[in-house]
Amino acid sequence: MRPQALSRTAASAAAGASWLLTPRAAWTRTPAATPSTSSSITSTSTTTRRAQPNLIQPTSRAYHAYTHPAPPPPFSPIETAILSAAYTHVPTHGFSRTSLALGARSAGYLDISTNLLPDGVFSLIKYHLLSQRELLSTTPLPPSPPLSSRVELLTFTRLLANAPVLPHLQSALAIMAQPSYIPTSLAELAVLADEILYLAGDVAVDPTWYTKRASLSAIYAASELFMTNDSSTGFRDTRAFLGRRLGEAEELGGAVRSVGEWVGFNAKAGVNVLRSWGAPI
Amino acid sequence: MSEYGPTSSTTCSPAQNRRSQSSSSTTSTTSSTTESQPRPLKPLTPSQRAFLSSALRVNQAGELAATLIYTAQTPPIVAREPHLGPLMRHMYDQEAGHLTTFNQLIAKHRVRPTALYPLWSVLATGLGWSTAVLGREAAMACTEAVETEIGGHYNAQIRQLLEMVAEWEADGYAVGSEFTDLIDTLRRIRDEELEHLDHAINHDAKKAQPYWLLTSAIRAGCRGAIWVSEKV
Amino acid sequence: MAARTLLRRALPSMRSASSLRQSSPFSSSTLLQSRAASSSSSSPSSSSSAIPDYAIPDPSRPTHFGYETVTEAEKIERVAGVFTSVAESYDRMNDLMSFGWHRIWKDHFVASLNPGFSPLTSGPDPRAPQHILDIAGGTGDIGFRMLHTAHTLNGNPDVRVTISDINPAMLTVGKQRSTQLPASQQAALSFVEANAEDLTRTKPLSSTSTTATATDSHNTSSIPSNSIDLYTVAFGIRNFSNIPAALREAHRVLKPGGVFACLEFSKVDKHPLLNTLYKSWSFGAIPLIGQLVAGDRDSYQYLVESIERFPSQEAFRDMIVDAGFIVGGDGFEDLTGGVAAIHKGMKPRV
Repeated sequence: MRPQALSRTAASAAAGASWLLTPRAAWTRTPAATPSTSSSITSTSTTTRRAQPNLIQPTSRAYHAYTHPAPPPPFSPIETAILSAAYTHVPTHGFSRTSLALGARSAGYLDISTNLLPDGVFSLIKYHLLSQRELLSTTPLPPSPPLSSRVELLTFTRLLANAPVLPHLQSALAIMAQPSYIPTSLAELAVLADEILYLAGDVAVDPTWYTKRASLSAIYAASELFMTNDSSTGFRDTRAFLGRRLGEAEELGGAVRSVGEWVGFNAKAGVNVLRSWGAPI
Repeated sequence: MSEYGPTSSTTCSPAQNRRSQSSSSTTSTTSSTTESQPRPLKPLTPSQRAFLSSALRVNQAGELAATLIYTAQTPPIVAREPHLGPLMRHMYDQEAGHLTTFNQLIAKHRVRPTALYPLWSVLATGLGWSTAVLGREAAMACTEAVETEIGGHYNAQIRQLLEMVAEWEADGYAVGSEFTDLIDTLRRIRDEELEHLDHAINHDAKKAQPYWLLTSAIRAGCRGAIWVSEKV
Repeated sequence: MAARTLLRRALPSMRSASSLRQSSPFSSSTLLQSRAASSSSSSPSSSSSAIPDYAIPDPSRPTHFGYETVTEAEKIERVAGVFTSVAESYDRMNDLMSFGWHRIWKDHFVASLNPGFSPLTSGPDPRAPQHILDIAGGTGDIGFRMLHTAHTLNGNPDVRVTISDINPAMLTVGKQRSTQLPASQQAALSFVEANAEDLTRTKPLSSTSTTATATDSHNTSSIPSNSIDLYTVAFGIRNFSNIPAALREAHRVLKPGGVFACLEFSKVDKHPLLNTLYKSWSFGAIPLIGQLVAGDRDSYQYLVESIERFPSQEAFRDMIVDAGFIVGGDGFEDLTGGVAAIHKGMKPRV
């Protein structure tokens, strides 16, 4: 169990966080990378020559390949350059157009260049969510504690990553809750829960796959809200809150499991009684 | 309206020239690299990833159903015909092995398991139990119908994977070991499923009454379940 | 309608069949040139520097005018004819085509571009004056909105707007309207007459058309390379004779980091039901209404045909990328299900 989990973590770290650190040349949408572009309006009315790009896919948890390279990173190198520079201004200026413009400037672009980002300020929020999630894979995990405490540690690590931008988190949440961004925001939350359980080494693929992810998403969201009002040192209160919620979820899961086992046991016993009476079943 | 043609023809040609030239240049570069250094691997396209996850998901659901069918069939069958015990045991063990394989693959490749897991559990148990109560022939006809569908299903998957591999190789890319392994695994499992089919036919599956109704109903059910599991 | 659909399906084969026959009427030297040009740009990386020949304006090259095939030179003339005749009723035309939504689209277009937004930081004022070039902006719809957003909403009076149009009639309408603007905005505004495929030759709009011809020869100036922050074109680019050339010209005049933004009628293919309604409205009703309201059926017929012939969102995005821009995300934003679309591209730093 243990070596497997370790190698998984390492592999995921290598595959996951790389787009943050090294802008990959493979995803430039410059003419050099796309030689087969259209030439005249008359030639284009019937066909589209290129498949739709899947730039923004926080939901992409479909088939994680190991021997093949990772799919293109979510942001192009120039977008990453502008966003990462803008991200450094978030603690002072929040998730705002101001941060974006300042980021574009420090990346050597113009104020107007922020128009490259299709979702504007939400792109910056998405950058925060995606980059902090990818960085989770670098969390050092203790050697062999139970699954639940690894989940707790990873979730709290992710919460702590919000600390530098905490004063602006409420406004970010408000933007994320805008109707057009809700699907992306929820998908990203689901992917975060999946990432945490994966990194923690959870390999259950029965219906608890869903219940675990749903409850962890809910707990994370609640803890994040709790954290925005937490002034304790080192966010001790948030950690305690998180621990309580995770404990409750585990108790609830245990209770559901017990009920299921009880029902199953009684059904089997009933069938066996019938069989002992000679029923051909 | 006949003016459509001439417009596009002349304005199109340079682009077509460009395109054919650039594609020929890429193939020439890749063929030269194959000799000197290991061939590169290509990232999976979104549609390939979608295919792989739905394939693994439906396989897991299918093997789960198979184990439950055999689990439910075994007691009534063995109660009446104890000599079938070892055969049922053997088939169950193989199915359980397949289920473990796909459970591991799903967890490893981070694929979402089927959301209808409880539904498939109930349906499969019900199917296995009811056919077993109808008698050995009906149970074997059920096995025959299920394994026919499953065998065809695995064959389709293997074919699609081989196409994927052929496409990579044609473009000068290498094929990751996880795919050669996956194809081998699927081939092995398919052969074992078809072996179950033979067992079922050897044990009077065709004598079940009404055979055609039973098998076609079960096969239709299987196809429906496969279709649904590919989606959810 | 059915016949048209059939024709469109048959289009690719017709193209290939006619390519052999039709190449001869047009000068054979064009074909030779095109081969030479394409072989010189065979390596993809050099394609941005070497201009492919389809992006070089050629008055004799065939293009389309609605569903008709004309030469590029003819198209310029005939588009001029259309817009001279509709200049006065241009807004009504857009209202008809879009059920009045074009105002909302334009508001959204300008708001999303957010011109003039330039945060102050401590230390010396880092703001460079922004220069916006609104191409095919004759009546000032976009230009005035830009000025309002930049000067009033973003409090940045350093933003200048140049409105360019190939058609003096349209520019005259815009010029008249601009007298309603506050004086500071009028001061930041200029009107030039230019062909978007070649912005090296522009001439300022003269008060009367007679002096325009008189000053024609000696009063032209060029829009310098790397001088523009934001290049906009709203509901204009489909009328251009050579779109690839116009895109490359946009790339030339933009500063590195400058943004190309285009608002244009587009394809509703993603919503079949809406598409059917929209098509039957535009082809069935609009030419008729044009005849009744403006007494000018042909211009309105051209309008709907030109929309139909304009490339899809993805194809136009690819043309923008081909001209050397980089795009973020899908590279476009659909408005009202794709009846119109906004395309944006940024000129990368070298």
